[in-house]
Amino acid sequence: MATQLATHIVTFQLNGRPHAVTVAPLTTLRTALREDLHLHATKAGCGQGGCGSCTVLLDNELVLSCLVPVTLVDGRSVTTLEGIGGPGRLHPLQEAFHDHFAAQCGYCTAGMIMAAKWLLDRNPNPTRAEIQMALAGNLCRCTGYVPIIEAIEDAARRMSKGVKR
Amino acid sequence: MSTTAFFVPRTVEQAIDLKREHGKNLVVLGGGTIVMGLVHDGLLFPKLAMSLARAGMSDVRRRDGWLEIGAATPIARLAALKGATTLERAAGMLGGPALRTLATAGGNLFAKAPYGDMCVPLLAMDAELEIAGAGRRYTVPLEQFLSRRSLKNDELVVSIHVPKAQGRGAYLKLGRRQANTPSVVAVAVQAVLDTNGKCTDVRIALGAAAPQAVRAKKAEAVLIGRRLEDATIKAAAESAQAECNPATDSLASAWYRREMVGVFVHRALDELGRST
Ligand SMILES: Cc1cc2nc3c(=O)[nH]c(=O)nc-3n(C[C@H](O)[C@H](O)[C@H](O)COP(=O)(O)OP(=O)(O)OC[C@H]3O[C@@H](n4cnc5c(N)ncnc54)[C@H](O)[C@@H]3O)c2cc1C
Ligand code: FES
Ligand code: FES
Repeated sequence: MATQLATHIVTFQLNGRPHAVTVAPLTTLRTALREDLHLHATKAGCGQGGCGSCTVLLDNELVLSCLVPVTLVDGRSVTTLEGIGGPGRLHPLQEAFHDHFAAQCGYCTAGMIMAAKWLLDRNPNPTRAEIQMALAGNLCRCTGYVPIIEAIEDAARRMSKGVKR
Repeated sequence: MSTTAFFVPRTVEQAIDLKREHGKNLVVLGGGTIVMGLVHDGLLFPKLAMSLARAGMSDVRRRDGWLEIGAATPIARLAALKGATTLERAAGMLGGPALRTLATAGGNLFAKAPYGDMCVPLLAMDAELEIAGAGRRYTVPLEQFLSRRSLKNDELVVSIHVPKAQGRGAYLKLGRRQANTPSVVAVAVQAVLDTNGKCTDVRIALGAAAPQAVRAKKAEAVLIGRRLEDATIKAAAESAQAECNPATDSLASAWYRREMVGVFVHRALDELGRST
């Protein structure tokens, strides 16, 4: 049994590379990402599971990182927005979000893109309704959602072209 | 005050031992989707915490026609089952995709109304809970458990046992939007109709219509021995409406919930009457 007393070390794959953090019991994955590993794309919103701004992939499944004690991530694999692309090597979703003005304040964007990536990994050609359902856990207070949905539709098209080429 | 230890037991026995040793001081996390929110809000200060995520309680098995759902099984697993039952439908409509990865079936048994959606089809299917404590294991009907929802200090819910669904099932959930929303009301019905279309067995369960999921037994009694015809359905829906005990909260008033219990029991029975 893993009994984690006081502070302890957790090791996991983060965006394809091994990382370790030393944390107190019940420290969340979100806090470890932002405050220990200084990856700030993942946002700290409600801390209640209600807004989706902290959404990341854990073993390729969508999770709310504010609800996951990082101790449970030991030995597993985490992907954040930083892991799918960045300046000079944007992921098609990031490009499409940019082109469609799908980010205003940007607070929801990382979570939105992670939810969209999770969807497109499973369903490369989703309907609008399927996109809406995949984003059901992510709130946006700025865009009205339409540009986000259009960006994801466009990214799906770009990605399917990429495969054919 | 901070948490001094977080236990991740690898077996049910280890989890029970920890419960026996630490009792009420040990906060149990299924998926933690309720517990972690309380911690962040400063409403819960666990001195000790334990996750059931690695305790070998996350499997779904079929045995003698029964479905045995480990208490720590994520809702997403249930949504992906291929049995075409109301369980899958309810699981697929609970929260959003990221929440479903984390939230567990066992945790849902303890969720206060308007949450507790899984209890609704589980009640309609007459599920039982397997509870384990130091040196004992026993089963209780879900309905009996829900009336008190209390366990002894050393006890955990280990699994949920669901008998093979008899007859036809329907599950409907009304929320304030189409997805990721608590229930205004939820209704599950499981009914057996004989060759003449007469109802020989029926269970109607209501969610968000009382502090915990409840059966609408007077409405069930209206249906027994009758065909699912308009007048009968209307009488059953009115009965369910009269016997439920909903609360007012930020989503809906008690009055509106009671109205919607009538509407949704009616719709669920209509759906059953039409399906073959
Ligand atoms: C954004 C959001 C949306 C939600 N939407 C819904 C919804 O649509 N429908 C709905 O019903 N709920 C909803 N919920 C509430 C909650 O996520 C679910 O009810 C979930 O199933 C709770 O399970 P959990 O394992 O995460 O609970 P936890 O937080 O882990 O536990 C809840 C309680 O149960 C106890 N417990 C857990 N497992 C066991 C066990 N095996 N034995 C003994 N005690 C145990 C814990 O000690 C705790 O007291 C939502 C929550 C959020 C944050
Ligand atoms: S910060 Fe995690 S869901 Fe809002
Ligand atoms: S862009 Fe501001 S919350 Fe979505």
